[in-house]
Amino acid sequence: MILAVLFANSEGNILVERFNGVPTEERLHWRSFLVKLGAENLKGVKNEELLVASHKSVYIVYTVLGDVSVYVVGKDEYDELALAEVIFVITSAVKDVCGKLPTERLFLDKYGRICLTLDEIIWQGYLENTDKDRIRRLVRLKPPTEF
Amino acid sequence: MAQPLVKKDDDRDDEADYSPFLGIEKGAVLQEARVFNDPQLDPRRCSQVITKLLYLLNQGETFTKVEATEVFFAVTKLFQSKDIGLRRMVYVMIKELSPSADEVIIVTSSLMKDMTSKTDMYRANAIRVLCRITDGTLLTQIERYLKQAIVDKNPVVASAALVSGIHLLQTNPEIVKRWSNEVQEAVQSRAALVQFHALALLHQIRQNDRLAVNKLVSSLTKGSVRSPLAQCLLIRYTSQVIRESANTQAADRPFYDFLEGCLRHKAEMVIFEAARAITELNCVTTRELTPAITVLQLFLSSSKPVLRFAAVRTLNKVAMTHPMAVTNCNIDMESLISDQNRSIATLAITTLLKTGNESSVDRLMKQITNFMSDIADEFKIVVVEAIRSLCLKFPLKHRSLMNFLSNILREEGGFDYKKAIVDSIVILIRDIPEAKETGLLHLCEFIEDCEFTYLSTQILHFLGIEGPKTSDPSKYIRYIYNRVHLENATVRAAAVSTLAKFGAMVDTLKPRIFVLLRRCLFDNDDEVRDRATLYLNTLGGDGAVVQTGEDVKEFLFGSLDIPLVNLENSLKNYEPSEESFDIYSVPREVKTQPLAEKKAPGKKPTGLGAPPAGPPSTVDAYEKLLSSIPEFANFGKLFKSSAPVELTEAETEYAVNVVKHIFDGHVVFQYNCTNTIPEQLLENVTVIVDASEAEEFAEVASKPLRSLPYDSPGQTFVAFEKPEGTPAIGKFSNMLRFIVKEVDPSTGEAEDDGVEDEYQLEELEVVAADYILKVGVSNFRNAWESMGADCERIDEYGLGPRESLAEAVNAVIDLLGMQPCEGTEVVPNNSRSHTCLLSGVYIGNVKVLVRLQFGLDGPKDVAMKLAVRSEDESVSDAIHEIVASG
Repeated sequence: MILAVLFANSEGNILVERFNGVPTEERLHWRSFLVKLGAENLKGVKNEELLVASHKSVYIVYTVLGDVSVYVVGKDEYDELALAEVIFVITSAVKDVCGKLPTERLFLDKYGRICLTLDEIIWQGYLENTDKDRIRRLVRLKPPTEF
Repeated sequence: MAQPLVKKDDDRDDEADYSPFLGIEKGAVLQEARVFNDPQLDPRRCSQVITKLLYLLNQGETFTKVEATEVFFAVTKLFQSKDIGLRRMVYVMIKELSPSADEVIIVTSSLMKDMTSKTDMYRANAIRVLCRITDGTLLTQIERYLKQAIVDKNPVVASAALVSGIHLLQTNPEIVKRWSNEVQEAVQSRAALVQFHALALLHQIRQNDRLAVNKLVSSLTKGSVRSPLAQCLLIRYTSQVIRESANTQAADRPFYDFLEGCLRHKAEMVIFEAARAITELNCVTTRELTPAITVLQLFLSSSKPVLRFAAVRTLNKVAMTHPMAVTNCNIDMESLISDQNRSIATLAITTLLKTGNESSVDRLMKQITNFMSDIADEFKIVVVEAIRSLCLKFPLKHRSLMNFLSNILREEGGFDYKKAIVDSIVILIRDIPEAKETGLLHLCEFIEDCEFTYLSTQILHFLGIEGPKTSDPSKYIRYIYNRVHLENATVRAAAVSTLAKFGAMVDTLKPRIFVLLRRCLFDNDDEVRDRATLYLNTLGGDGAVVQTGEDVKEFLFGSLDIPLVNLENSLKNYEPSEESFDIYSVPREVKTQPLAEKKAPGKKPTGLGAPPAGPPSTVDAYEKLLSSIPEFANFGKLFKSSAPVELTEAETEYAVNVVKHIFDGHVVFQYNCTNTIPEQLLENVTVIVDASEAEEFAEVASKPLRSLPYDSPGQTFVAFEKPEGTPAIGKFSNMLRFIVKEVDPSTGEAEDDGVEDEYQLEELEVVAADYILKVGVSNFRNAWESMGADCERIDEYGLGPRESLAEAVNAVIDLLGMQPCEGTEVVPNNSRSHTCLLSGVYIGNVKVLVRLQFGLDGPKDVAMKLAVRSEDESVSDAIHEIVASG
């Protein structure tokens, strides 16, 4: 299951935080753990270069996209490789929504659309859509082109 | 009111620091949500308010029940709008609010309408929302539409229904299971994602039907799977089928070719999945492992951290079971020690520590030293634990490894890290006699500047036990006495106890210890003063150089042979009165014992499940338990207790396992019984043992278990006499006999009358290995030479055709039940000869060393030369006899 998707700005403030199957009392712990992980490791990392960590039996893949950092947490079948796929879908769809690498402002301007995009990609912890062009159409309630 | 959202234009980059959500406040946004009730809806404005609500929720903000209900009712009004963008937002918002059952009804009709709409995308979204908020009753109403949706031409609709199915299976399995025909059809879909989702759902529906999973895997491995994600699932299901198929013969292992073929897939995800599946095969052979290891090795030098991590993580796991298979990757792995990603570096190091040989230890330690300074404590602990195992594997390297541990002990670090190091040093001191003195000095230096009271007291206690047995105990006194000056009361009290132990054990030190203890009489803490007074009196007030009495030593060093739980209970029940508390009134019998590990065949945990718990009891605990039973009290010292042997299949009515306790002239079988039927109470439980196939054994005592309630394990014992000091062997058949009483489930009370009943258990064997203790030696060659050739016995044996050399080596190790030394139990790949060194203690406390030389004679035949040295030639002969008759 994909346990969490989290976006933070360069100061570590949360922009989007979505959990699946994580008890409320553990969420704060995860939030601070991920932000700390990013603060320690993301400095100087190239856009979309994927970093990886594991914490107990849970995997974390994270990266930088413009001014925001993106974290995806998973367990079981969503190991580091599946999460790499998930984060790739997320980053390419977010870039697509923003038209370029997002600044924090641009990200917030497109906030509603980004929420819809995430809703198309992950549904309660499962990967649902993977193609950015299809996702772009789906958030506008348009059917996929290949159909 | 919060700032309205501003539409982004390209020329506004200079306003980057201005957030559209600046000053956003829940109360204000909830007020704004009233626009949803306007008769003339403004879709743009409504979308903006929903975005703000989403922003709040995505920040971890929560709505109260009233707030959520209010917003939910308002949002449902938005179904009136035909604006597509707004409709999409409404779907998300309803899912986020996840309304309660009584509210759902408000939107059901709108969603049902959308679900039967001609617009595909309305259908897909309505399905997702309905399935999120639905309950069983509503689900039966919409089931028909969902089944149609699964086979819908539009892949988005099909996927929406399938993923809904995956979620609904958790709550309404009986309904979703009815969809398997449609799901089966969707597995054949040309749309890659539909196939992926359908495969996941179909497997979940049929996961308990082994035949169906087998069929599914057989058909898909031949056909075409369209997405890498689905291919990964298929690999996982395939390995499940392989695991569950009884045939583990490598030659005709089913589906191996499929897995091997996946190693050449273009998607990295698939390659890894296949490589992992191969490395996790039961009894995997070198031939099967090699291609998987080769691809993993290539990924070790990938430019992508995720791939390096995945590769090193997999190899790390392989190294636990097949260290030799990973040695080829050591050079690549060494370059990962300096990897920027600390998770990768730690995994690389721990793998290297598992696969390295004795000669590479020093070089490795040098590399690790540089690495340790810049990783977090959690990684350091992993490394420390790996170093501890390495040191136990190569005891000759204890000097450099111990130095390493003492160096890192001096550096900065948190409690858990320091505790891991101290624990490691203590274990090394216990297991490697040569490391004792240096290890103790390292610990002494550590407590000179230790900020953790817990660790200081633990070390002081350990020093008190080990220090007096060293060649020069006086050198530790300074470190201990310094604690009395410099530390807090807890540590000071511990130091006083340690000093007393030195005084009791080393007669020559006694006068000086007395001087120090007397100084402690003026301490400002009660406990410290009390201890000093107590010890001064116990050890004999004048402090002359006299031998300390055995009872005093017992008082100072003896363990509290009363279960702490029992003591706690007795103290709680004790009412202060004239009569003082009598420690001898505390019962010594351990009431319940945790269940021993079940022999559960079949399912292996997937992913990274916690490892199964180890055996629940240590020899110490067994010894205490047995000595508390009067019938066994005169059997002497317990020589060995076996691991629990299961006498019942998993999941039977009564679970029974047995532990064999070997004494010099007796054997005691401890039957650990568990009653798994809530409606039954068993009483007077005994095991009737038939020893007709164990001629040298004669039953002398049996201790029944008075009562065995549901799920509360208990023990019954049977003791046998056997010829003293000899390794008598035999087979025993067992029958559980008891009185069964019905229990009323509502009251939990048992009926008065019971019926006698019996339950057949499996047979039990006492074998030669039960008479040998696994005791390692740190330097086998020294031990071998100092033992001398006086009682040496050498002979050669043909072991016949064997699957591999490694299998033959393991079989002999198991047969003898001795401790492999210096890592010689591991047979290098493709070798045609191997030497294995074993050590142990034979019953009667006779040390035994064994040198086994194996060679391949022809393609599969294994020949073995067995050389045994011991302190007693009859024992050397006995070892040969074990091998000859095994």
